[in-house]
Amino acid sequence: MGILDYFKPVSTWPAEKVRQFLKEKNPQDYNLVDVRQPKEYEQGHLPGAQLIPVGELDGRLKELDPNKPTIAY
Amino acid sequence: MRSRAAAAILSGAGFKEVYSMEGGMHAWKGFVSKGIPEAGMTYFSPAHRPEEFIGLAWLLEDGSKKFYSKIAEILEEQEAANLFQKLSAEEEAHKGFLFKIYQEVSGLNSDPGFPGSVVAMEAGEDYMEGGLRVSKALEWARGEKLNGILELSISLEANSHDLYIKMERKIEGEKGKKVFKTLAEMEKEHLNRLSSLFERNLEEAEK
Repeated sequence: MGILDYFKPVSTWPAEKVRQFLKEKNPQDYNLVDVRQPKEYEQGHLPGAQLIPVGELDGRLKELDPNKPTIAY
Repeated sequence: MRSRAAAAILSGAGFKEVYSMEGGMHAWKGFVSKGIPEAGMTYFSPAHRPEEFIGLAWLLEDGSKKFYSKIAEILEEQEAANLFQKLSAEEEAHKGFLFKIYQEVSGLNSDPGFPGSVVAMEAGEDYMEGGLRVSKALEWARGEKLNGILELSISLEANSHDLYIKMERKIEGEKGKKVFKTLAEMEKEHLNRLSSLFERNLEEAEK
């Protein structure tokens, strides 16, 4: 695997698809991560989203289950 | 933007299925979002040799430096302009570290063709972290407010912090590892400075 794989496009879901997904699944079936700043989270976030600002993500991976589908916003 | 960087980090860390929500919270609330266009992205072919990823890192540092220094000129907010000026100077210093380690790894004292000698790139284009063309990013930034620019910069630094961690793992030899470890720490520090300025702006906007 090349080191520059991070340049590859990441999969994206439109908001509508996320809405549908959250409606159909149980919260224990997925990770929903809000990677914005705490202030933005405070001003409004998706139901059940876990706040991990992108700057802290690498140190807090253990808080998430890598085997579950993960949605970041 | 940030979720894209986050998704890349998560995928790289072995998360099986990762999605970034297009348009973020704005899109969720039904607003049309105007993120930086995907068309501005370029994808480099995977680098394998240490020289290649040192060259690539140098190239991206150079692009980020150019981006930050232009942003510092454009911004009217003094505090932010100062921060971008400092970041730009630091990215310049990173180029120096990278060239030094390139000399060690390649055994060459000078290489006038660097980084073109190790990385295939389009002539006349500058790229920055995240694979973004500097010209595209600047074009976009001119129509943006400070917070939008901070968001993009946070994404870039998150990407580059992640890249250096990967390079540290991959490169052989103590010296090389040390350089990438230091760079990763420095980008992390950039990330923290940008994030805290962004957070402060959000707080002030509330007052």
